[in-house]
Amino acid sequence: MQKAVVILLCLVCIILGYFTFVSAGKAFDTDWHLPDQSGEAETNYRLVLITLELDTPFWDMVGAGAKEQAKREEVSLEVWGSYGKDQDEFLRLIELAIYSKVDGIIVQGLDTEAFTNLTAIKAASYGIPIVTVVNDVPMNESLRRTYVGTDQYEAGKLIAMQLLQDMGIAGKVILMSDNYQEYFQEQRLNGILEVLQAYPEVQPVLAETPDTREQVIEVTRGLMNEVPDANAFIALNANVTGAMLQEIGRRSQIEPYYIYSFDDGADSLTLLQEGKIDGMIQQAPTDMGRLSVDLLVQWLTGETIPLDDKGYMTPVRLLRAEDAS
Amino acid sequence: MISIQNKIWLLAAVVLFFMAAIWITFTFYNQRTQHQYNEILQRYLRLSEVTGAGQELITNLNNYLLHATPDHEERITQSQQRIRQAKHEMITLSHADNDFTLTNYVNLIDSLLEATNRSLMYYGEQEQVAYMEAFAEANRISKYLSDMSLTLIDTELRTSERLYRGIIDQSEELTRLGIWLLLLITLLLMMFAYWFSRSITKPVKQLTQAAHQLSYGRFDLQVQVDSNDEIAFLARMFDRMRRNINNLISEIKEKAELEKELQQNKILLQETQLLSLQSQINPHFLFNTLDTLSKKAYMEGSEETSDLLVNVANLLRYNLKRLDRKVTLFEEVNVLQQYIEIQKARFTERLQFQADVDESCLHVLVPGLTLQPIVENAVIHAVEPKEDGGIINFRVRRDEQVVKVEIRDNGPGMKEEQITQILEEETFQTEGHSTGIGISNVIKRLRLFYGIYDVVEIESSPNHGTTVTLNIPEPKGGDFVGQASNRR
Repeated sequence: MQKAVVILLCLVCIILGYFTFVSAGKAFDTDWHLPDQSGEAETNYRLVLITLELDTPFWDMVGAGAKEQAKREEVSLEVWGSYGKDQDEFLRLIELAIYSKVDGIIVQGLDTEAFTNLTAIKAASYGIPIVTVVNDVPMNESLRRTYVGTDQYEAGKLIAMQLLQDMGIAGKVILMSDNYQEYFQEQRLNGILEVLQAYPEVQPVLAETPDTREQVIEVTRGLMNEVPDANAFIALNANVTGAMLQEIGRRSQIEPYYIYSFDDGADSLTLLQEGKIDGMIQQAPTDMGRLSVDLLVQWLTGETIPLDDKGYMTPVRLLRAEDAS
Repeated sequence: MISIQNKIWLLAAVVLFFMAAIWITFTFYNQRTQHQYNEILQRYLRLSEVTGAGQELITNLNNYLLHATPDHEERITQSQQRIRQAKHEMITLSHADNDFTLTNYVNLIDSLLEATNRSLMYYGEQEQVAYMEAFAEANRISKYLSDMSLTLIDTELRTSERLYRGIIDQSEELTRLGIWLLLLITLLLMMFAYWFSRSITKPVKQLTQAAHQLSYGRFDLQVQVDSNDEIAFLARMFDRMRRNINNLISEIKEKAELEKELQQNKILLQETQLLSLQSQINPHFLFNTLDTLSKKAYMEGSEETSDLLVNVANLLRYNLKRLDRKVTLFEEVNVLQQYIEIQKARFTERLQFQADVDESCLHVLVPGLTLQPIVENAVIHAVEPKEDGGIINFRVRRDEQVVKVEIRDNGPGMKEEQITQILEEETFQTEGHSTGIGISNVIKRLRLFYGIYDVVEIESSPNHGTTVTLNIPEPKGGDFVGQASNRR
């Protein structure tokens, strides 16, 4: 009896001891280390990728490509940006990057005076190289080192050719762009017009719209009243596509129209898959990101000086609705 | 030997050890936590320090640009110093996650300083537009600085989140540990205290039991205490005392035995003395004389006198021979008859002797000279003093396993005290007895012979006579072995 009690007590003791030990182990075995200090900060290049349209599928891919390349090159890269084309924030970020004396800035081109000021004067005075990506700005104004992205002129041609193929060589085409007069839109437009010039039967109608949704709808409505016999729509800026389609769809069937757009809008791919768009220019955002970082590092290390100021073009192809769905 | 005091010290030491261990552990832990908290706080403070310093610099610059006094200039220098210092400290904060932002931040500080200097320079050159522009730039940078410190703090929070959660978890774990520890220590201490108290109380209990046994007179049990403290010492002393007492008691017993033997020797000596005294008269001379007298009386024609003398001679011979020998009741009765004959010659009609003897009882063994002294006693007290004599009844009968010998007289009787005195063998008066043997002697010898206290009964009351009854046990079957035979 007494022996049993002693054994029981010992057992309880051992159990309690075990739990105490485990608990003590958990309580005292601390992994209290702040992340390690890194001594490589000085040697690493610090690059910043700044965009106007953060968190869109297109720009996500650009960012991913850039990061991938940065990792490979062992340089630090951060993706900054504003949402929904907030230009003030965008410019502020560029300025911040310049004051932060990053080693290189990869930026979405914005064809405005403030942007040119920053890149041409401030960045130059701090000696920071700027590479535009996706959207280009004229080189001689912005003093960008180079441009990485789609040859928008070629893309315009491609889309125009597809249009001719689908619609035939006669018809009215509405070319919709936003009213910022951005360089890349101009390029696209030029490309399209270049092709259409040869076909006098095809009549391009240029339209500009402010970039809010309501205004796009309004302008579309106006256009459809003015040009009721339009055969095709081309959204030069992918971001107006959604609103434009909504208005067209409200007024009539979408089917009879030939509608083309680009892939750098938030909803481009979805619209294509739904069959609302007949064709879409598909660019290579990942390649753009990758190449831009690669080139910038090449420039920084002195491997390739100067960079080709005409830009480095990434592949482009036209994706038809049939292919996407 | 571990003394009880040492045991108490041990208990205290163990408790103290536990407490100290826990205290040290928790203090150590607390200090580490404190250190950790301090480090974390330090980081945040440094981050905010830069913002503060930046804003101060801008304010001072503004003041200076408004009123260019040496005092303000001095302040600007101070602010620059401060912000440089802060920048220096910032570099130590870098880690993998915030490296990029932190470098930006440090560079921003540089930019701020550059812009400030530029502004000061232009101010010195009196280029109003340029210095105002530079000031605006510095102001903007200062704003970026405070924005970025927010970002940094945010990053800090994010990267350290795991750490903070760890700290929270750990403090919860510590509470749990506290509970476990409390349980464990409670159990351990209770067990230890139990063991400790037992090691004190158990020996005490054993000792108490031993004392209890001793108090009941059991001196043969060894006092055993299984411990090695003062109690054990006490127990050893106690045991020694027990042994001493035991020895003393057996000594006393031996002494008593010895004394008893001595007393019996004394009695024997007295009897021997008596015998030797009796032997002082040459009995043969006496018997021969009595025989001669008897024959002479017979020849002179006095047959009665002759018989009387023969009886006297026989009685005396018997007396001398039979003291302390075992005889049959038959012989005793014979002697009694001869004695009565002699007494009848003396008292004639005054003595009436009535005998009623069951012959079948006469084979029992009795010590010699037992009946005659009793009857003589009756004669002396019941017949002699009375004018008209007395009656003596002598009866032998069987009563179950006992042979009862009854001697009754009708004399004056005795009081209760006298009977007690006689039965307690206190009186030694032997006056008037022919053999010199009193009733006390008879009683004592009867008791010794049979080993029975109640062998003699006396019934008497004043004026109603006395009855002496001897209860003689009848031997069963074989030879009756009286103790008297062993005495020889």
